[in-house]
Amino acid sequence: MQLSDRFAVSADVVAREVGGEMVLLDLSSGQYFGLDPVGGRIWELLAEGPRELAELCDSVEAEFEAPRDRIEADLLALAKQLKDQDLIVAA
Amino acid sequence: MEWEPDSPRPQVELPREPYDRWVSPAGYCQAEFYRDERGYLIRFPSQADFLIEVKSGDGGEFRITGWPTPQCDAKTTLNLYHNAIQPILGNHSGGLFLHGSAVCARVEHHSDGEEGAVAFLGLSRSGKTTLAGSFAQAGHPFLTEDVIDLARSDGRYLLQPKRSKLRLFADSARHLLGRDTEFENDDIKQDVDAGAGLPFADGAKPLRQIYVLGTDLRADLSIRQFSLQEALSVLLPNAFILDVEDKASLRGHFGRLADLSQDIPCYALDFMRDYSELPRVRKAVLGNLANG
Repeated sequence: MQLSDRFAVSADVVAREVGGEMVLLDLSSGQYFGLDPVGGRIWELLAEGPRELAELCDSVEAEFEAPRDRIEADLLALAKQLKDQDLIVAA
Repeated sequence: MEWEPDSPRPQVELPREPYDRWVSPAGYCQAEFYRDERGYLIRFPSQADFLIEVKSGDGGEFRITGWPTPQCDAKTTLNLYHNAIQPILGNHSGGLFLHGSAVCARVEHHSDGEEGAVAFLGLSRSGKTTLAGSFAQAGHPFLTEDVIDLARSDGRYLLQPKRSKLRLFADSARHLLGRDTEFENDDIKQDVDAGAGLPFADGAKPLRQIYVLGTDLRADLSIRQFSLQEALSVLLPNAFILDVEDKASLRGHFGRLADLSQDIPCYALDFMRDYSELPRVRKAVLGNLANG
């Protein structure tokens, strides 16, 4: 996976912010997942429309105080988890 | 007019596979869901078939026909209708129905001084009905024994009273009503009518708290509040779903449960399933309600 990869949220997933965290329900499997506030913000951005991971890094860097290299590493790891669970799809 | 089942008929093998099943924790199939050209067929093995015809153009109205098997009595079929079919269709139509029991409890510190409802969710045979009966016996009328029907009104969730009966096994009934309580069959649940010993609530009550009964039947008594995310995750499996492939309906359902998880405190309730423990459980729940 690379920062130039572009993703969108799966049409089979519904999401709601609950108590400051994003809860996702995969309608296909019935499984649900939780995202922390940063992950929830990334989900919100993806829900607005397909994005490159690099664009998401830019947004996170602008909104949260963290070094760029850490943001990129964390975002790549999160995107892999979301893709492995079919919660996001290549766009 | 009260719904009534059709004449009994045997359950013949159906030409297609079910698209969903309810399976008990012990692994046996409680219900199978099939598509039918007229709508849905829900089969409760060895008990009854229900055909749900979706009336076209009526915005979610249904025609329900139920056929008990020859070995199933009308009372069981009616219980399936009230405790499964109605809540399934209620959720499909945008309502909010959960599997559980509920009782009234006066909350003195609330400014309106109004009685509130406390709901108990959990797996089948986890003790929900017996616990509700125990509260009723102690003077806290029960609202429902199996189906929690919630209506939103003025920012509250009003819990509607359902049937004024508790379905109990003989040992629970005898604990609640006395050792000389007569039962036709000690091995199956039977209807026990509300009465002086088991009072029934006379109207809808605002829901104050939800308790989810734990699965460890020998656990020590404890109450722990779920986080909001945990609450949503425990509410989801306690709701009734007609069509797991109808994503539009599921989206709405998820949203209603997310609202509920944020609006009503939800707790894990563990206790040893021993009749002698019930007074302590009641005291702990009422204490938590007073402090909530």
